[in-house]
Amino acid sequence: MAEKQTFGERLITKIFSRFPIISEMWAKKFKAYGVEGIPWTPFEKELSQCKVAIVTSAGVHVKTQQPFDMEDHEGYPTFREIPRDTPKSELTITHKYYDHTDADRDINIVYPIDRFFEMKERKEIGEVAEFHYGLMGHILGRHLKTLVEETGPEIARRLKSSGVDVAFLTPG
Amino acid sequence: MGLVQREIEKIGIPTISVSIVRKLTEEVKPPRAVFLRWPFGHPLGEPFNVPQQMTILREAFNALKEIKEPGTITDLPYRWKREKYEM
Repeated sequence: MAEKQTFGERLITKIFSRFPIISEMWAKKFKAYGVEGIPWTPFEKELSQCKVAIVTSAGVHVKTQQPFDMEDHEGYPTFREIPRDTPKSELTITHKYYDHTDADRDINIVYPIDRFFEMKERKEIGEVAEFHYGLMGHILGRHLKTLVEETGPEIARRLKSSGVDVAFLTPG
Repeated sequence: MGLVQREIEKIGIPTISVSIVRKLTEEVKPPRAVFLRWPFGHPLGEPFNVPQQMTILREAFNALKEIKEPGTITDLPYRWKREKYEM
């Protein structure tokens, strides 16, 4: 695992995870990059006919892929493409800015792939997309531009070209 | 995550996200979100609690259908570890 947390970092992630009020205080200082207006695509299909993909910023990726770089304090604005049928034993989380002990036990709490297959089985959704996308949250400063102008649009293009109808997004 | 959500919506794919920091979501302005006042790292709930995870997923997809006003954040009523969930 590429995450070496100091005692202080471990303590901070645990405190942040336990007390949402602290996260809210931190968020007040956050300034989003390039936020103008609100994009909108009407949802007009039946969910039972839709191909659905997961996009998560919880740091999920396949073990054989290069982990997210944890050394840069402003984050690491790249993504990892996760094939639908990757066994859960082959998935991992690299993200030192939240306590992912629980998600390591059951990745469905951030990347609900088993639930998606169950919904497909029950015909609640039409199809589980062939590829899903993992990013690392906690993107700050100079990396926000890359996230908005490169990483985000590239994920969007890939989803579009594989015929995805709906994207479901989760944070870490 | 909300910034990426906006890019996906821009290309013509409807999106729905789970927010656990409402202030951040208000700042980033994704098209649609459901909010839970839950700890970081648990957007779908607790490990192995399948009914809970399924409830949140269904709530999110319901919000995808119901939200008509861009930028709406729907507050879900579930309290952390103080609810009983059924499939």
